[in-house]
Amino acid sequence: MFSVSPEIYNIISRASRWLFAFFALMLLLFALSWLYDERRKRRERFRSLPEAGNIGEMVVISGSDQLPVDTWFPVPREGILGSLRSCDLVVPCPGVHARHLAFSWQDGTGLVVKSFPGCETFVDGVSLLTAEKSDMPVMVHGSCLQVGSAVLRLQLLAALEHTNRPFAVTVPPPEYPSPAAAQQPLPCSPFPQESALPFTDPPARAYQIQPSRPEQQAGDAPAAFAPEREQQETPVVFTSTAVSEELPPVQPAVPRRKRADRWKEDFSE
Amino acid sequence: MNRQKSSSRFRFVGAAALLVLLALLVPALRDGDQRLYFLAAGVTAAMLLCMIIPARLFSLDRMILSLALYMGAVGIFSIAPADPDAALMQWLRCSVGAVTLIIGAMLIRVLTVSMLTSGITSFLGLLLLAGGLLTRDVTLPFTEAGVILLMIAFSSLLSAHGGIAAMIPGLAGTALLLLQGQTVEAIVLALAIFLLLWSSDGRIIVALAALVVFVAVFFAARQLGYLPPFSPGETHTASLSTLVSAGLFGTEGTAADASLPASSLLYGLAGRYGLVFTGLTLLLYLPLVLRGASVAGSARSRFHAVLAMGCTLLFAFRIPAGLLSAFGVLPLPISPLPLLTDSLPDLCAQMLTLGLLCGISSVNEADLAEDAHLAMLAK
Repeated sequence: MFSVSPEIYNIISRASRWLFAFFALMLLLFALSWLYDERRKRRERFRSLPEAGNIGEMVVISGSDQLPVDTWFPVPREGILGSLRSCDLVVPCPGVHARHLAFSWQDGTGLVVKSFPGCETFVDGVSLLTAEKSDMPVMVHGSCLQVGSAVLRLQLLAALEHTNRPFAVTVPPPEYPSPAAAQQPLPCSPFPQESALPFTDPPARAYQIQPSRPEQQAGDAPAAFAPEREQQETPVVFTSTAVSEELPPVQPAVPRRKRADRWKEDFSE
Repeated sequence: MNRQKSSSRFRFVGAAALLVLLALLVPALRDGDQRLYFLAAGVTAAMLLCMIIPARLFSLDRMILSLALYMGAVGIFSIAPADPDAALMQWLRCSVGAVTLIIGAMLIRVLTVSMLTSGITSFLGLLLLAGGLLTRDVTLPFTEAGVILLMIAFSSLLSAHGGIAAMIPGLAGTALLLLQGQTVEAIVLALAIFLLLWSSDGRIIVALAALVVFVAVFFAARQLGYLPPFSPGETHTASLSTLVSAGLFGTEGTAADASLPASSLLYGLAGRYGLVFTGLTLLLYLPLVLRGASVAGSARSRFHAVLAMGCTLLFAFRIPAGLLSAFGVLPLPISPLPLLTDSLPDLCAQMLTLGLLCGISSVNEADLAEDAHLAMLAK
C-alpha cells in the first residue's frame, strides 16, 4: 500500500499531533454547542407546551394558612403527595404526613392513588385505608381528594378525553351545590370526619364556588364538563344555615394562585 | 432556526469522522500497512453509519450515540499505530458494544416497574457479582454488568416500594464487590445509590440512615481485611510517569509501559498524542454526563428518572475514579475509563448503560410529541 519516506512522515506526524489537538478542541466546542442547542430547543418546546408532562391540576378547595383556597398545583403523571418539600405535590396542612400518598395516571382508568400506611386519605368520600382492593376509588375529572385537613379537586386537561385512549369517566362529576343544597356538605366529599372538614364547620366558613377564573383556559376541561362551567360564569356565594348575621362578611375571592408562587415567597423570606 | 440546531450536530459528526480518519491514516502512511488503511476506511464508515441509521431506526438519542461511538473510535486509534491487530480486535469489541447499546435502548421500552423486573434483575446482578466468589479459579469480568442490573433493580424497587426495599440489592451488591476487592466499583455503586435515595426520598433521616449503613459496610470490610491498604504502589508511579512522559503533544513511537494494566487505553492515547489531546478528549465526557442528567430530568416516570440518573452517576463516577487512580492521586487500583477499555464485558456494560439512556431519551421524546398532540387537540 501507499507509504511515504521517513522524513516526510516525520513532518506529517508532527503536524498531525498539533492538528489533532486542534480537532479535539473543535470537537469539544461542537459538542458543547450541540448540548446548548438541545437545551434551548427543549426549553422552547416546553414554553410552547406549558402543560407538558402534566395531566391536569389540583385546586385547593380547603387548605390552611400556608395553603390558601384556590391555590392550584400542576399534577404530573405520577408522583408523591405530602408535606415534604421534595414531594411532587406539597400540601402543608395539618394531618398531612411528610409522604402521604403516591399517585399515578393510568390511561383508560384515571389517577390511581395509593395511600402510604397510616395515612388517612379519602377519594370522593371513600377511605383508601378501608376500601377493598377491587373497589379502590380512582380519581377522574372533578374528583375530590381529602388528605388531613386539605381538600383538593382534580381537574384534568381537556384533550385527555379526546385521545384515542379508551378513557371513560365512570364517576359522575361533582355537582356544584345549589342555594337550596348549600345546607348539606358538598356531594363530592361525604367525609366521615366531619369535625376536620371546613365544609361542615358552619360557624367558621362560608362556601365560595368560583368555577371561572381569570387565567382559566377555555379548553382545560373535558368537553363534557364545559357547558356546566359556562353556566357558572359569575361567582356564586353560598352560605350554610348556621352562618348567622354576626359572621364577618364574606371576603372577596382571592386571585388564583399557583403553588410555585408560594415557593417564591418562601425563598424570598 | 432549524438549520442552526442541526448544524452543530453535523459539525460534530463531520469533525469526529475526519479526526478518526486522519488518526488512522497518518500511521498507515509510515509503513503502508493494509490493516491500518482498512481500519481507517472501516472505522470511519461504520461510525458514520451507526450515527445515522440506528439513530433514525430506533429513535436513539443522537448526542449520546455520537459521543459513545467517537469515544469507542478513540480507543481504536489510540492502539492502532503500535498494534494494528489489537486495534482490529478493539473495533470488533466496539461493534459488539454498539449492538449492546441498541439492545439497551430496546430493553428500556419493555422494562416495567414490577416485582418480576426487580426480582430478575436483582438475582442476575447478584449472581454476576457473586460469580467471582463462587469460582475463584476463573476470573469473571462481569462486574459492571452486574452493577447495571442492580441499578435497574434498585430503580424499580425505589419507584414502587420505597427506599428500604431498594436498599437491599444495593447493599448486597456493595458487600459482594467489597468481598471481591473491587473497591472502586463498590464506592461508585454506594455513592450512586446513596445520592439517588437522598434525592428521591428527600428526608434527611433516610439519607443519614443510608449513609450510616454504607459506612458500616465499608468499615466492616476494612476490619475484615477486604479493603486494600491505602498506599501508592509502583504501578501508580509508573502510570504517572507514562502519562507525562509524552509531553503536551506526544511523541512518535511512545508505547505504554508493560507493567501498566492493559485494560486502560488512556496510556496509549496520552503517550502518542500528548496530554493536550488526551485532556480535551476526556473533557468530552462532560457533555455526555450533562446529556444523561438532562435525560433523567426530562423523564416522566419515576422509574425512568431514577434509572437514567443512576446510569449517569455510575458512568460519571467512574471518570474521576479512573483518572485519579491513573494519575496516582488516590491509591486505588487502576481502573479503565469508561469506553476506553479493552475488556469486552466492561465495554458492553458501559454501552448498555448508554443504551438505557438513549432509550429513556426516546421515550421522553415520544411523550413530548404526545403532549404536543394533546395540546393541538385541546385547541
